[in-house]
Amino acid sequence: MPAETYSLGESVEISQIGKELKKLWQGGEGAMTRASLINLAVYSEKQGSLEKNTQLIARITENHACRALVIGANRESKENRVEAWINAHCHVGRAGSKQICSEQISFLLEGPCVKLLPSIVFSHLDSDLPLYLWWQDDFPEEMDPQLWTWVDRLIFDSQTWKSFNAQMRSIETAEQEAKQRIVLCDLNWTRLDKVRYAIAQFFDHPASHHHFSKMENVTVDFSPGFKSTAILLIGWLAAQLKWKTNQQEMNGSCRFLDANGRKIDIELREQSGGPIGQVVLNSSEIRFCVTPAKCGDLLEVSRSGETETAQPQMMPAQSNDPVDLMTQELLRGGPHRIYLRAVNGVHALL
Amino acid sequence: MNRAAEQTQTNPLREGLSTRAVPQPCSVVIFGATGDLTHRKLMPALYNLAADGELPPAVTVIGFARRPKSDDDFRKEMEEAVKKFSRQTVRDEIWKNFGQSIFYHQSDFSDESGFKSLAERLDKVDNERGTRGNRLFYFAVAPEQFEPILKHLKTVGLNKAREGSWARVIIEKPFGTDLASARELNRVVSNSFSEDQTYRIDHFLGKETAQNILVLRFANSIFAPLWNRRYIDHLQITAAETLGVEGRAGYYETAGALRDMVQNHLLQLLCLVAMEAPSDLSADSIRDEKVKVVRCLRRMSADGVSTDVVRAQYAEGAINGKSVPAYRAEEKVYPKSMTDTFVALKLNIDNWRFWNVPIYMRVGKRLPKSATEISVHFKKAPMVLFNKETNEANVLVIRIQPDEGISLRIQAKMPGTSFRIEPVKMDFHYGTSFGKASPEAYERLLLDAMSGDATLFARRDEVEEAWAFIDIIENAWSQKKNAPELYFYPAGSWGPDAADELLARDGRAWRRL
Repeated sequence: MPAETYSLGESVEISQIGKELKKLWQGGEGAMTRASLINLAVYSEKQGSLEKNTQLIARITENHACRALVIGANRESKENRVEAWINAHCHVGRAGSKQICSEQISFLLEGPCVKLLPSIVFSHLDSDLPLYLWWQDDFPEEMDPQLWTWVDRLIFDSQTWKSFNAQMRSIETAEQEAKQRIVLCDLNWTRLDKVRYAIAQFFDHPASHHHFSKMENVTVDFSPGFKSTAILLIGWLAAQLKWKTNQQEMNGSCRFLDANGRKIDIELREQSGGPIGQVVLNSSEIRFCVTPAKCGDLLEVSRSGETETAQPQMMPAQSNDPVDLMTQELLRGGPHRIYLRAVNGVHALL
Repeated sequence: MNRAAEQTQTNPLREGLSTRAVPQPCSVVIFGATGDLTHRKLMPALYNLAADGELPPAVTVIGFARRPKSDDDFRKEMEEAVKKFSRQTVRDEIWKNFGQSIFYHQSDFSDESGFKSLAERLDKVDNERGTRGNRLFYFAVAPEQFEPILKHLKTVGLNKAREGSWARVIIEKPFGTDLASARELNRVVSNSFSEDQTYRIDHFLGKETAQNILVLRFANSIFAPLWNRRYIDHLQITAAETLGVEGRAGYYETAGALRDMVQNHLLQLLCLVAMEAPSDLSADSIRDEKVKVVRCLRRMSADGVSTDVVRAQYAEGAINGKSVPAYRAEEKVYPKSMTDTFVALKLNIDNWRFWNVPIYMRVGKRLPKSATEISVHFKKAPMVLFNKETNEANVLVIRIQPDEGISLRIQAKMPGTSFRIEPVKMDFHYGTSFGKASPEAYERLLLDAMSGDATLFARRDEVEEAWAFIDIIENAWSQKKNAPELYFYPAGSWGPDAADELLARDGRAWRRL
């Protein structure tokens, strides 16, 4: 049994993977438990992605036991090359001294054999467990519908996409061809989890609800490269509060109308800092403010107005680390209806 | 539980963010704020909720106790307690804000003026911190202090909430010492707070695995058809601890294992295992089904207590290789004490599902290991095909603590040319499958009380029915003539031989833990 390591592990023949995995466990010493709740396939075409993703998987498995299938692909290569490695990531469990281990099978696919991806993934799934596919690149124009019929949850990060709408169209086409509803898990949406919590809690008490119909403007600060994250946040507010686009975005400003035709001005401001900086919602009476605290991993939330003094409180902030985002995402279940609603609310802005 | 749905509809921004009821801003007044429970459980639980972003920012904590001290002194004391007992490391940035929401109110529980000033202070907090007139009163005090506190709360009008707000009271066990005192306690409470304002806390119900019993039974179709007298041979419930009385001798001398554990925790677990499926997940639907189980418990005769209940007390012995004194030699214990530190019982539920399925319970202090679990022992398969001597039954074990999880024992063929059969275990560990640590039971229960979800709290009729059952045993034990014997067991053993006999005479044995 290999010690905890971030290397790709032992090189194996693809046809021998099952057998070699078995050997890996036969050689194990001490109190070790192999655990798996999901099949997590990670796909990337970036150079060096196998090593980088192995490191990520090692950390993800601390909280989510899984069978990881890490795939590095190079479509451009003319020569066919297929290589595989097996490895295990072991961590001491919460319960005590017992080590909890997750298996990782890594594949390097080069050349035309990249098309063999579905058959490689299918033949190495841990049976009866759902398949989560983490696609780290833009989706190709043509996607194999066979692959999608097996995917339960598709994880991606729309923040890295060149064209949001083109990518979403690819996914929709793939879903239609596969005749399957895949749960779409956008890490760019996960990035907003804590900010959404912080904003939502202002309105938990029914006495705050009248502010929804008095909302006048919203300002969202975002750091360079995270405009789509800020737009998704606006999409969420718009979808949940039934705002409709009234004026297209220009220089970071746009306008929505609420159900009563009242105008809500939106301002998106690029600032340095975390993906999402300060978010301010102004009703005609109260200013609701969520600001990243100086320490970086907390949010300062406060409401203030003419008759109310701000009493800032701290809430957890969302880390932008990919492992934290994945850990958060894997904790969730069910369909992401609110996400789809938010996307629909701001399709034109994305 | 179904309040979550109502509230997500109310706040559209909560949709998809919470699957549980959302707690409301409120003032939490803790009576007995300088006591052990506040230090070890309540304040760490509140801090963890704040650190996880689960606590509405306006929540304000007011400690109410006799000893004079300032807000700052109390905050410092609480900070130390949280640092010592919290499951998360205390962060200065969070404590700075959380600490500012803690206040101290010094008064004697019998002093009405202290309650008047409390009412004024709570109004001020409502205005300054936005707690909106919502009040949660936590009674972390001995039951004899309930009455004066409740009386004064009523006198100053704190038992009633303003329109659109709420006032609730959380009561810690023991909920009485017998049926008469439980009724009296409930009467006293109901003089000030109605039943829907009253939350009787049983921290066992806040444990993840206890809640998972309902999921296991009602979300897995494979178990439902087997969960009855046709397939189940018997049930065992064990709550074992290595600890002795640990400074609680004063209380324990008046309680004993039967009152301290069986009347509440163990009967609550039994209810979850034996109840019928509720019509929905509302607090009353679940509690309606639970109370039916207690009502169906077959009442014992005096003879029945002698034969079906074993009481015992630990004698000198050793735990983990370390000598420990006998119960009677513990500080503050009467040298001729007859208090039970171990109880084993055989119960029967006279209903359609479980008629003639014995339920064996045992609870004890100074046992070899600490473990709480429920095991469902299924009937043996007809072994006409295989070696009859290796005939073992399937056992489903629900481990409540520690190492929370579920295991199923099945029969498997040993590799080889012959048909040798051995039991093997399919095992699910929470800690292995889910990396995320479960919140402490008090965290869950405090949040539930703040959001008005009483599902995991005991209702008046549950408590009284449980006492009606327990009283029969206690009364038999307290008879002057022919009282059942009090056995003794060495500390570090699994109880007296009589406890083993209880099962042996039915051809059964306690599960080895």
